[in-house]
Amino acid sequence: MSEQSQSNDPKEVFAMWRQLYDANEKVWSKASGEFMDTPAFAQWQGKMLETFLGFQKAWKESVTAQLEAANIATRDDLVRLGELIVGLEEKVDQIVDRLDAVAPRPAPRARDASPHTSKSVGATIARATTTTKASKNAKRAPR
Amino acid sequence: MLELTRIVNAASEAPVGQTPSQVVWRKNKARLLRYTRSTAATRRTPVFLCLPLINRAYILDLRPGASFVEYLLAEGHDVFLLDWGVWGPEDRGVDITTLVTAYIPRALREASRLAGEPVTLLGYCIGGALAACYLALYPSDPVKNFVLFTAPIDFADAGKFGKWTAKGVFPIDKICETFDTVPGELVGLGANLLNPASSYLGTYLQLFERMQEPGFDPSGWQAIYRWVNEGTPFPRAAYYQWITEFYQDNRLSRDHLEMDGRPVRLSAITIPVLNVAATADTIAPRPTTAVILSKVSSVDRSELMVNGGHVGIVVGRAAKQDLWPKVGSWLAAHD
Repeated sequence: MSEQSQSNDPKEVFAMWRQLYDANEKVWSKASGEFMDTPAFAQWQGKMLETFLGFQKAWKESVTAQLEAANIATRDDLVRLGELIVGLEEKVDQIVDRLDAVAPRPAPRARDASPHTSKSVGATIARATTTTKASKNAKRAPR
Repeated sequence: MLELTRIVNAASEAPVGQTPSQVVWRKNKARLLRYTRSTAATRRTPVFLCLPLINRAYILDLRPGASFVEYLLAEGHDVFLLDWGVWGPEDRGVDITTLVTAYIPRALREASRLAGEPVTLLGYCIGGALAACYLALYPSDPVKNFVLFTAPIDFADAGKFGKWTAKGVFPIDKICETFDTVPGELVGLGANLLNPASSYLGTYLQLFERMQEPGFDPSGWQAIYRWVNEGTPFPRAAYYQWITEFYQDNRLSRDHLEMDGRPVRLSAITIPVLNVAATADTIAPRPTTAVILSKVSSVDRSELMVNGGHVGIVVGRAAKQDLWPKVGSWLAAHD
């Protein structure tokens, strides 16, 4: 009875695992390490991954087909929209780069060096945009 | 047993990256963080940290007392960190070239402008490889020193990762056809397979053992567990370029790499270089990290071999006593 309760004690179980692990970890690691270092394992792993990817791709194509049939925007449609926005941001960055090349921004003065006061052309553009939106909203807001 | 499960489950919410910072620059998901100093910096040269694409920004600021960022601040440096953020499917076209030519230069120049000084560029793992490409392309940018932490540069003998991702074995085309962003779990699985006994069993046995210690605080274990298990998705274009041009063709080390039609030659790097390598690194094995010093043209170049693995040398218990002070001394000597 007492033996049974001891073997059910998680501490005992973990202690047994620990002993087993300590005794065998190096052997397991060496054996698995050597096996995983072989071209055969790399081939097998590649095939497994390929099978998994096949399922993933089939699932993705099936969902896309159903959405298209229902005339609903697919994931790809939304992703393309996101890509356009990211591309637009890059174009703004390129404009900022050119402005910087024409009129390099000076280093902030020591007392202004804190990030709170840092100003960049990009930040100024962003701030101006925010201000414009805010003022438009203020005009629309009912009194 | 329940307690162990609770600790493991709560690890995904473990408090990490707690050092106060301000976002001083943004592009897409990427942010440049400037860590807040309570006193003025006493070192002239700021440190700019460039992280691996597959990790979250907190890895070098794990938790109070176990934070490399905190250490650098205490050493008197102004510290900037380029956080890549979490890529979404709309970033599937972002490749390594874009990161090296459109993200790093802008972030680094902004850091240098804000600090008013050229920076020390410190790249960890893939971040080190990207930083090396950047320096090779823009040698006149405001960078004073270059530090690499376990950064793979030469992939001729890249260990198991090299074998698993070899041409004809690794279905890289199918991966990139299937995913917009390669899931972090897939990349993490590869890392765990490097040492499965330790990853899948040893981690939990070690936790259980430590739980028996009186006054055991699980937050440290949870923070490391979170780091290891919380990967970020890899934009597929970047993943494709990383696997084919770096791992399979080894173009960087062989001087065959081009970005935006320009050759990427490590010999263009002339600033002081410190290469930190780990003795038991299975992610970036020694042959991948050994070549950098022979490729750069810097007169001042040195290497630091640290006992431990890829993650352990940076945040392990020994990091505070071993790696950080040594790097701190090098930075002080090159301030």
